[in-house]
Formats: sequence, structure tokens, C-alpha cells
Amino acid sequence: MVAVSKTEMTAAKEKKTGNLSMISAVKTYLPIVGLIIVFLVFNVLTNFRMVKNMPLVLSQVYVTMIATTGVFFIMTMGGLDFSQGSILGIASIVVCMVSRINIPLSIICGILTGALIGAFNGYFYVYRKIKSFIVTICTMFLFRGFIKYLTTNAPVAGSAALINFDKTELKVALTLLVLVTGFVLFRFTKFGTYLKAIGAGEKAAMFSGIRTDKMKFWVYVLSGAITGFAAFINVIKVGSVTSSGGSQLETQILIALVLGGMPISGGAKVRFENIIVGSLLYIVLNSGLTMMGFSTQMMQLIQGIVFLVFVAVFADRKSLQVIK
Amino acid sequence: MDQRKIEGSLRGYLILLLLVVLSWGIFKILTPHNFGSFNNMLSYFQASLIASVGAVGFYFVMVMGMFDFSIGANIMLSAIVGCVFATKLGLGYAGLIIGALLCGCLVGLFNGSFYVKLHIPSMIVTTGLALIYEAVANYIAGGVEQTLSADLRMFGQMPGDIILALVAFIVAYVFLNYTKIGTYTYAIGSNEFVAKNMGINVNKYKVLAFILSGGFLGIMAVLTISYGSSMVAVTGMASMSRNFIPTMGCFFGVAFKKYGIPLQAIIIGEFIINIIFFGFIALGAPTAIQDVITGFALLIIITVTTKINKGEIVK
Amino acid sequence: MIQEGTMSEVRLEVKNLCKSFGITKAVKNVSFNINKGEVHALIGENGSGKSTLTNMLTGIYSIDSGIFVLDGEEIHPKNQVDANNHGVSIIVQELGTLSGLTVAENIFLGHEERFVKCGIKNTKQMIKEANELLHSYGFDRIKAQRMIDDYNFEDRKLVEIVKATYFDPKIVVIDETTTALSQEGRNELYKVMDKIREKGNTIIFISHDLQEILDRSDTITILRDGVYIDTVKSKDVSEEDLKRLMVGREVTGDYYRSDYGSKVSDEVVLSAKDVSVPGLLNKLDFELHKGEILGFGGLSESGMHEVGKAIFGASYDRTGSVKLSDGTEINDIPTAIQHSIAYTSKDRDNESVVLNQSIMDNICLPSLDELADKRHMLSDKKLRDFADKFAKDMSVKMVNVDQFVSDLSGGNKQKVVLARWIGKDSDIVVLDSPTRGIDIKVKQDIYQLMDRMRKSGKSIIMISEELMELIGMCDRIIIMKDGMINGQIERSETLDENNLITMMV
Repeated sequence: MVAVSKTEMTAAKEKKTGNLSMISAVKTYLPIVGLIIVFLVFNVLTNFRMVKNMPLVLSQVYVTMIATTGVFFIMTMGGLDFSQGSILGIASIVVCMVSRINIPLSIICGILTGALIGAFNGYFYVYRKIKSFIVTICTMFLFRGFIKYLTTNAPVAGSAALINFDKTELKVALTLLVLVTGFVLFRFTKFGTYLKAIGAGEKAAMFSGIRTDKMKFWVYVLSGAITGFAAFINVIKVGSVTSSGGSQLETQILIALVLGGMPISGGAKVRFENIIVGSLLYIVLNSGLTMMGFSTQMMQLIQGIVFLVFVAVFADRKSLQVIK
Repeated sequence: MDQRKIEGSLRGYLILLLLVVLSWGIFKILTPHNFGSFNNMLSYFQASLIASVGAVGFYFVMVMGMFDFSIGANIMLSAIVGCVFATKLGLGYAGLIIGALLCGCLVGLFNGSFYVKLHIPSMIVTTGLALIYEAVANYIAGGVEQTLSADLRMFGQMPGDIILALVAFIVAYVFLNYTKIGTYTYAIGSNEFVAKNMGINVNKYKVLAFILSGGFLGIMAVLTISYGSSMVAVTGMASMSRNFIPTMGCFFGVAFKKYGIPLQAIIIGEFIINIIFFGFIALGAPTAIQDVITGFALLIIITVTTKINKGEIVK
Repeated sequence: MIQEGTMSEVRLEVKNLCKSFGITKAVKNVSFNINKGEVHALIGENGSGKSTLTNMLTGIYSIDSGIFVLDGEEIHPKNQVDANNHGVSIIVQELGTLSGLTVAENIFLGHEERFVKCGIKNTKQMIKEANELLHSYGFDRIKAQRMIDDYNFEDRKLVEIVKATYFDPKIVVIDETTTALSQEGRNELYKVMDKIREKGNTIIFISHDLQEILDRSDTITILRDGVYIDTVKSKDVSEEDLKRLMVGREVTGDYYRSDYGSKVSDEVVLSAKDVSVPGLLNKLDFELHKGEILGFGGLSESGMHEVGKAIFGASYDRTGSVKLSDGTEINDIPTAIQHSIAYTSKDRDNESVVLNQSIMDNICLPSLDELADKRHMLSDKKLRDFADKFAKDMSVKMVNVDQFVSDLSGGNKQKVVLARWIGKDSDIVVLDSPTRGIDIKVKQDIYQLMDRMRKSGKSIIMISEELMELIGMCDRIIIMKDGMINGQIERSETLDENNLITMMV
């Protein structure tokens, strides 16, 4: 499904002691092996209901995967973003409202909205030097309030024509577009290298000529824009936005990335594949638990435990000195 | 007492007083009729005490440089446990307080232990644990709203609420200024590496800070459920909405630490926040706007109190 | 080796002590004795192992192997408070007191037990006793109940001195403390040192100031590259003797540059005019010529380290101008790098290398634009070959370029940094403390590299606290004092450290 890059395999082989190489191998393969195992386990337990309902299962993955791409860039730099859900909510509302006039325009407006909120986040984070998680939980709360306000009397509904766009091929195509572009940018241009350098050692990155402040700011804008794009896909599925529109997205993204094996503080050990494997694993886990009839609280309990286990396993301990 | 110390704290008090008068003044002018009377102010103050109690405990955690996303889940869970002890197990007031307190401390113990053992940032650990606490709360409450019977509402009104809050503040003050925990909390927050070298068992005191914080949140839970009379178990991290107000008060405490009056700053700070809230309500703003204000206000407070050090790396 | 007195005079035996950090061996099988009632100096160059040794004695570092025997008893301090309980304390070079606490709290940090009853701290008693202690030292102007933040660096050091000595410790380690103090502060310290010696206790004194060592200590032990060299009596040796013991060889031309009298080109490649940075630099004017090695020397607070940053565009609030020969103004780091300026910082781990990335990433980082193809794409193979070539050029000791820089020794980290700039082919190279904490062999490699670069037309600025290397390598040396240029000296065979020192202080 996902090819493990050769660089990682060589690095794993050439580690000095056998112990280290085993731990590193576990870290490299755990997410994808986990994905396969979990998928098989659930299918067995539900009499292969999951395979039969794959489109339904996958239908939830597109928005998450696209938004996760943006947050992946942020977290590679060592930042955090807890406002993603609110960005999705507001962008979805904008998409709904503009879609009544013109649908392509609504996509653009969604992206712009997301970008603006991203810029808001980026300003306080980069230029006022406030910790990213503090800025983004404030904006999460702030914009959630707006969403509640805008949906006080009734959910905001989009144009009826939107339902025509709810085709799996279209959603898959759009998701792949974002993923492939993101992958090429991250893996094959200096964009990815610079992000990793900022995450691994921001001061030294600055002294190597990277314009760190500018980059940090624009990555937040980019991430907001990407989520704004995801809002379109969200809207064509649900058709309207309620006060809880997009809520929890940030936690979903965080869990998805952690399940995908991404180190919490970013840096050199991140890999783009974390996004894909993680989102799939999260969705499969969730759907599987739902299909097995677990209650919401049991699901959340399992989510929490799995999350903690994965974070502990994948944390890049050496570069964690910065965050307490 | 030293001359300089008195001067410093006096400055701090003056600034806080100014903020109180300012926030009262603005809304009094805008909507003189349904805001700002003495009785109004008294009720705003009473309401603010609830968050203050939690915030003074959380202060210990924040001073050390750590963070806790599970505050809301803790309050929710402790309130439910306290309610269950009091009503279902028939233990009355004793059950309410002991149940909530124990639960809060236990949550704190889990937070601290996982943080120390797993070596991952406190905000991440507490996010994961918050999910678990919410789930547990749901199990106990079973989807039913937990109501505190009418004869157990002593702490939701005068003088019960003020007395309980006062006891909590005194305990916090003693811990902060007259015990090793207080000294070491500041020491670890100042420079963890040096503190460790001085033989301070940093991990032990971090866990203690979380337990202490949890305990105060437990008492805050008692006040919360007494005031509101019931508590619903939510999921999906919805309990996070309860995180903000105690956190904001805590920021006041950290900002005024240099004047030597952190705990007092928290109490007055929460009062100011409540004045602003009720001010907006008196103005007729929709309840949804409250969240916008909270988020925005917190952002502004932090922006203003954060010193920009050129060349500093902030993640 | 000179050993005086009978065994009963010995306070501390150091036996076969070893300590490594990763692959770097900091202390290699060191053994010697320290007597009672003496000031025993410990000297050596950067990286000689003296701080590591004392850190092991005071519980800051753990011991790999070997033992300390204090008054006949083996000790293994786990942390400073444990060391204190054995009668050993340390006054460190940087700040050893904690902000946010009162003076009294700092003095008794870790030893509050005797003031605590039933969990409650008797603050009043603590303050009273602390004030009495401060009085007995003659530091009456420092009040125990005040926050330590109210006092400046020097007063905080005095509090640290009280903290480290009030309980009559058997051994007090004073680690490079005097360099940070004014003359007044030093005198206070000397008074305390005399008192300790009179009581029959011992001081282990570490300082770079050889004259001070000769004046203030009784015995001197020399370490070099983690190895024990010798122990001598202060009255029997001169500064020259000490230097020779520290460096281990006559400083000949083979180590540094061997040419004299070569003419430096007149072509100016970089000129700095009126360069000021608030609090650090004051209206600097100088020029750098093609193929020149220009040195900057001075005391560590003279501002010379900021000069490097100022030229590289890394200073905050810098005024004045830094211009290249083609008129380009250098005001930020990306411009500097694009115009062929390179910089290696004194703070290697934070500003020069990205510790948590591979050697390959570090070497390629500033050159990514050149390495990308027409469509801005990077190929793994191209990056790897590039990094490999330059890492091998610099003979970096590594497994392969995928290895993380954090695994390398100090010397090899520096080589990676240099490899990066060689790869970028920068014309102007600013080196700040390039050989700090690096062993002799690698130092020689770096000096030879600098000579090669100079000959091929590159221009170098070398900022260093090591006078010998400035004298050995530079065409011109500018001496800084208090943020301003205080003098300039040309390269010459007869140049001596004292010529420089007179301009530095």
C-alpha cells in the first residue's frame, strides 16, 4: 500500500547496535502493520461487513486526510494547531453561503477563509511570539463561538446543486490531488527540508539562511487554506452546517498523525506517509468500533488509550527538550 | 516586611483595581439599568469564585511550565463522582466533598504519573487522558443528567460558597508560601536543570503539583455542581470548553507573580473576567458571542503580557 | 610528580577516573592527590577535562569508572545536595542561583529540612539565619528576604559563595568564577578563600588566568586532553612552564601558519562602517581584504563575538553598514549567504548545526537552491553525493552521511559545519571560536584548512579567545574592548601574548 522509503531502511540497517535497529524497525513498520492487522481483525469480527461497506467507511476519510496534510506541515516545523475544527466550520459556512451564488466561487471563498484564519493564527504565533498551542486554542474557541452564532436559528444550508458533486470519484480525485501535490512539495523540494530543519533546530536553520519567521507564518496560512479546501468536500457530503460543524477535527487530526507514527515535535524523523497511514488507521479503527456496536464512551476510551500508547512509542525523545 | 516588597505588591493591587473599575465603568455607561448595581457585583463575584478555586490549584502546574488540557474533563468527572457519592450512596455533604476531592486528586495523580513516566509533553498527555476521563464519566453517569438534590445545595449560595472558596484560598496560600512544595515549584519553574542538580526530586514534585491542582479542581467541581445543580457527562472533548476560564485566571496569576501577589491576582482576575461577561449579557449579546469574547480576551491578555524577546525560539 | 606530606595530609584522592560522552572521552584514567588546607589549582585548555572532573566530584555528572576518596572514605555523590552532605560544594561559572526565589531560599535550597515542622516551613527562621550568615561574611547590603532577582549578577554570585561555603565544607570547587567578576568581587572571593584555607579546608581552583593561578594557589595540577600531566608547586614554576605543560609542545610553525611577511592583497572584499549594536558594539570601522585572515581578540565580553553576527546579518538592531565590494548591503542572513558569506558560531550546538538531523541534511542545507534542478526538484542521490564528497574532504569521522550530527564529537561537528560552507564555496568565511573544545589533532586540521582557503583567495575572519591561535594564524589582529576597537597588530614572528593582553584589559 505504502512503500517504505529506501532511506529509512538503510538508516535502520546501519544503526550501531542490534537493539536500536529493532526499535527503529518497529517504529517504521508499526503503523502500517497496525493498519493491516486492525483491518483484518475488524473484518473477521464483523463477518467482513467492513469490506462490503468500504465506500461508507472511506467516505469519512477524505476531509480528514486533506486537513491532516496541512497540519502535518505545521507539526513538522514543531508547531501545533488546535483550531482546525473551527476553521473547517467557518469555511464550510462560507462555502454554503457562496454556493447559492456560484459553486466554483464557493470553493475559492472557502480556501480564502481558511487562509485568513491561518494568517490570524500565524500573526500571533510568529510576530507576537506566543506559543502555537495557546494561540490556536484561543482561535478555536473564538471561531467556534462565531459558528454557534451564525447557526443559532438554523443550520446554514448550501445550494441544493451541491449534492450533484457528492461522487466518490470526485472526492477521491480531489484528495489525491492534495496528497500528491503535498508529497512532491515535501519530499522533493527544499520546502520539506526547510520545514524539517525548523522543527529539528530552528536557530541553526535560521543561521543556514532559512527565513524561519516567514516560513512559519505562511505554513499556517497554507494549512488554513488546505482545510478551507477540505470544507468544500465536507459540504458536498453534509449539505449544511450546524453549530457543531467541524468540531473535534483537530483532535481527529492529532490522533491520525500520532497513529501514523509521526513524532509529536516534528523534525527530521517525520515522513509524509504518516498522513496516509494514520488517517486510514484512524478511520478504520473508528468504523470498526462503531460496526462492532461499541458505545461512544467505549470508543473514546479506546481512542484515548491507543493515542497515549502511540505517542509514547513514537516520541522523538532527543528533540523534545523544548516542549514541557 | 521589606519596603520594596510592599511597594511591589501595592503596584500590583493598584493595577488590578484599575482593571476592575475600568471594566465595570465601561459597561455601566453602556447599559446602566441592568448592570453594575451592588447586588449584581456581588453575584458576579460569587460566580467568579468557582473558577478561582480551580485556577489557584492549576497555578502550581503552570508555574512549572506545564499545561493541562484535562481540567474540564476533571471538573466534569469529579462533579459527577461527588454527586453520586452524595445522592446515590447517601453520603450527603461529606460524600460530595470527599468524592469530588478524591476524584480530582486521582485524576491529578494519573496526569502527573503518565507525564513523568512517558516523557511526552504535558499538553499531549493530558489531551489523551481527557478522552479517557470523559469516557469514564459517561460510564458512571450512564447518559443521565446527574442532579444534586435540593437539600445539598449549601455550596451553591451564600455563605457556603464563600466559606468553601475562602478555605481553598487559604490552603493554596499556605502551600505556596509555607511549604517545600511552594519553594520547589518556583525552583523547578525557574530552571529545572539547576533544580535537579540541587537534589530536588523534580519528577516527584511535578506529580505533586498535578495532584494538588487536581484536588483544587475537585473543590471547584463541588462549587460548580452546587451552583448549577446538575452535571451532564459529555464526550468528544466537549469538556474542553470548561478549560478556558480557569486557565485565563491562571494567566493573571503568572503575569502578577512579579508583584508577589499571584493568588490574589487570580481571584481578582476571574472577577474582572466575569464582570466583562455579564456586561456583554446585559448588553443583550447572544450567548454564542460569549465564546468569541472568551477566546479573544484570552488571546489579548496573553499578547499583552508576553514579552517579545528578539531571537527567542517559540514553538 | 611532586607529592608533599604524609598520607594523613591528603584530603582527596582521585583514582583512575574515567568519563565519556558518547564517543568523546572527556576524562581518561586520571589519578592524583589533593592535600588539606591548600588552594589547589586545576588548569588545562578547553576540553582538557578539568570541568568534567570537578562536575563528577560535585555530583553534577555521574562517574563512568574510578573513585574519589575523601578523607579515607569513598564517595559517589548523586547530586549537589548529596555532595554537600559529604562536605563538597561548588561555585559554578554561570548563574548558580534560581530566579523567582528569595535570597534565603537560594542559600538553603535542598537543605530546608531543618526549618520544616509538620510540612510547614518556618520562613521567618530561615530569613533570620540567612541574614546572620550574610552578616558574618560582611555582605550586609544583601538582604535575605528579598527576591534574588533584585540583585545583579555579581551580588548573586556572592550569595552563591555563601551558599557553597557556610557549612564549612571540606572541599570547595571554584570553577572559572573569577572571570565573570569585577575586581571588587574577586577580592571578596579571595577573602573567603583565605578563610577556608585557614580552617584547614581545601579549595580546588579553576581559572584561565595563569597569573591569578600563580598568585593565589599553592599547588597546580595540569590536565591535557583528558589526561593527567603533572602536579607542581606554584612557587616553583613560571607562566611559561605552565603554558608548555598545558599545550604539550613548543608552538612551532608546523601547527599554525609558517609564513611571515607575505603581502596581503589591497582588494577590499568587505567593509564595515559605523557598525553598532546596542549594548554590544559601538561604531566599528574595519575592512577585510582578499586572501586575508583577519583576527578579532579580546575578553569574552568585549563584544568581539557579536562582530561575527553583525557581519553575517544576524545581529538585532544593528546600525551602520556592512558592504561588499560590489556595493551589496548585508542586513540579513539569507542575503549574506547568497552573497557568499559563511559563519560558524561559538554556540555550535544551537546556531551552527541542527543536532537532530543527519550529516547530509546539515551539509546540504544552504546549498539546496544550487542542488535543485530546473523544476526546483531535489534528488536524493545528488544530495547524498554532495554531502559525501565534502564530508570526506573534511575527513569527518562518521558511519555514513545519514548519521545524526548529535552522535558526533565536538571536533567532527565542527568539521560538518565547515564542510557545509566549503560545499557552498563561500568566499568570505567568519569563524567564531572555531577550535573551542576540540582536541589538538583536529585543531591542526582546521588550521591547515584555513591556510589552504587563504591561499586560494578566500577571505577569513577569525574570532577567538585563544591568543596563541590568533597570533599563529592571522595576518592582522584587531583587539576589542568594551564594544570598541582598541588596537590593531600586524602579523610578525616576534609577536607575543603580552602585546595583545595589554590592549585587551
